[in-house]
Amino acid sequence: MDALDLARTQFAVTGSLHFLFVLLTLGLAPLVAIMHTRWTLSGAPEHERTVRFWGQVYVTNYAVGIVTGLVMEFQFGLSWSGLSRYAGDVFGAPLAMETLVAFFLESTFLGLWIFGWGRLPKWLHLACIWAVTLTAYASAWFIMTANSFLQNPAGAVERGGRLELVDAAALFTNKTLVFSFPHVLSAGLFTAGMVLVGASAYRLRRGGEDAAFFTRSMRTGIVTAALGITLTVGFGYAQFGGIQEGKFKGDTAATPLALMMDVGNLMFFVAVFLMLPLVRFLPRWRWTHRLLMILTPVPFVLAICGWLARELGRQPWMVWKKLTVADAMSPGLTPGMITVSLVGFTAVLGLLALTDYALIARLVRRGPRDLDLGAAAEERPAPALSY
Amino acid sequence: MELIWYAVFTLLLSGYFALEGFDLGVGLLMPVIGRTQETRDRMVAAMAPFVLANEVWLVAVAGALFGVYPHLEGEALFGLYPLVVAMLLSWVVRDAGLWFRRRIDGPGWRRFWDAMITAGSLGLSFGWGVTLYAAATGFGSSLLHPLGLLLGVVVTLLFAWHGWTFLGWRAPETAGITRTGRALALSALAAALPALAVLGGSLPYLLDHSAPASTLGVMGVMALPFAPVMVLAQVWVWRFFRPGRSAVRTPSFF
Repeated sequence: MDALDLARTQFAVTGSLHFLFVLLTLGLAPLVAIMHTRWTLSGAPEHERTVRFWGQVYVTNYAVGIVTGLVMEFQFGLSWSGLSRYAGDVFGAPLAMETLVAFFLESTFLGLWIFGWGRLPKWLHLACIWAVTLTAYASAWFIMTANSFLQNPAGAVERGGRLELVDAAALFTNKTLVFSFPHVLSAGLFTAGMVLVGASAYRLRRGGEDAAFFTRSMRTGIVTAALGITLTVGFGYAQFGGIQEGKFKGDTAATPLALMMDVGNLMFFVAVFLMLPLVRFLPRWRWTHRLLMILTPVPFVLAICGWLARELGRQPWMVWKKLTVADAMSPGLTPGMITVSLVGFTAVLGLLALTDYALIARLVRRGPRDLDLGAAAEERPAPALSY
Repeated sequence: MELIWYAVFTLLLSGYFALEGFDLGVGLLMPVIGRTQETRDRMVAAMAPFVLANEVWLVAVAGALFGVYPHLEGEALFGLYPLVVAMLLSWVVRDAGLWFRRRIDGPGWRRFWDAMITAGSLGLSFGWGVTLYAAATGFGSSLLHPLGLLLGVVVTLLFAWHGWTFLGWRAPETAGITRTGRALALSALAAALPALAVLGGSLPYLLDHSAPASTLGVMGVMALPFAPVMVLAQVWVWRFFRPGRSAVRTPSFF
């Protein structure tokens, strides 16, 4: 492989890893916020247990979302300095906004939510998780704005061999953005719903004392998944109005697109016409639980297919009909440099991703007890005190 | 407009050094004063509520670099390629250590991730010294230049001292010393000094290489309404987790 293939592979690997975690974050954040709202209103210990359990799944997943995101952000400068040289004056603005405003606030409020547990006044504590959700959505919006600019460079003109921003409104209302953004958000909801369903199915199938807890979680998951997939499919089809001409001509982009659409339509049928009408019975029907568990990874696979279709369909362009990927690569980047960093990032991030999924699986296996999130001092065997 | 964004960029980078500096310092000191697992737990618990709010300053620096100085972004990151990769990996394992160390009970597991926190903190602190030297020389010098390596050692020591001062402020019995908020502000200033010096020296260059006024204007209009919220959120973290509130004791998630 030459340097260009290696650089593309590196971006694909880190980008896909990042999105696996971000997808679940985007879907779980509003669910945890709603669970937290219910707890704040009722004050019931049962509701608190729900927030703490799914909240811990959420933050455990969030950890790898952060670290893979860091690598993503810096990769633009490492491998694709030609992009910032040519289009940085436009493309850089939404990226800068994402980090400066959205992620900055998200991380600050998440810290307050986690470490302010039991100490913040309850309404402020609740406000923190809603702020985290809103800023996560804002992050997604800025990132999708940047990506949509690459698909369809609206609002910019070329002057002196570089793109210049002339119409900020066009940048942020790009026709490849308006439906792809809600498509991604609803895919997140669908994913989070299916994770709730799969984890609950595992617990209910095994039996034990938390049946009531996971019965409720499964029902929440089914409703969320049905709503999520309906919106995902709807906004998915709506995107075809704004697609670039000839984008899916080749097999490389058309194959993942077809896979996503076929399996996605099937999942829509399963979630809306089977799971939703049976929402009262599925928690009790143990023979369905193995099947529900098997479905858990499907949304993740579909989401990766969606990104592959969107990004491969843009080839060979980095910025559609303006800048090729080959021209965007950092001049002087050698296969040796990129191989070393590719191996390093893939090994470290891959191991962390596996560790993180093992930790989430372990959390589900142990169920809603001995949770770290929101633990009171006496609950822990050897508590480390903070002051 | 260029000057305003220069000020923002300077604030972000020096803020990162002043704030994340003590988190990295605490990570560096873990094998030094944290001989027992319990002491290390207390050290991490002391910095834990601040870490998420501190490390985002660098994420913001990188974003601002892309938005405000797009040409410098490619040049700087690519010019320091091996160093940036090493620092990113250091940052990743440091963060992973914090998030993972308490997820499984067991001394071996926690010791391993504590070692990762220290290794990551060391890589980042030392890397920053080398980066600053490279920036001061226009990314032309070798990454192994003795002065760069020396600056790496200096920044590492500065951060360690800053981390120790922070522990003396927030968890005096763990640190073995007691420090006031004023002392912490002083060590924060000292930790930010190398970054401030380099940025000060680059003022004419940076003003000359800013993004065009239209881009800066759009970003200003979009960021301005959120600036008060960002300041408020950061201030809130500091007011809320200050050491005076020892009445309520909670275990740390990290």
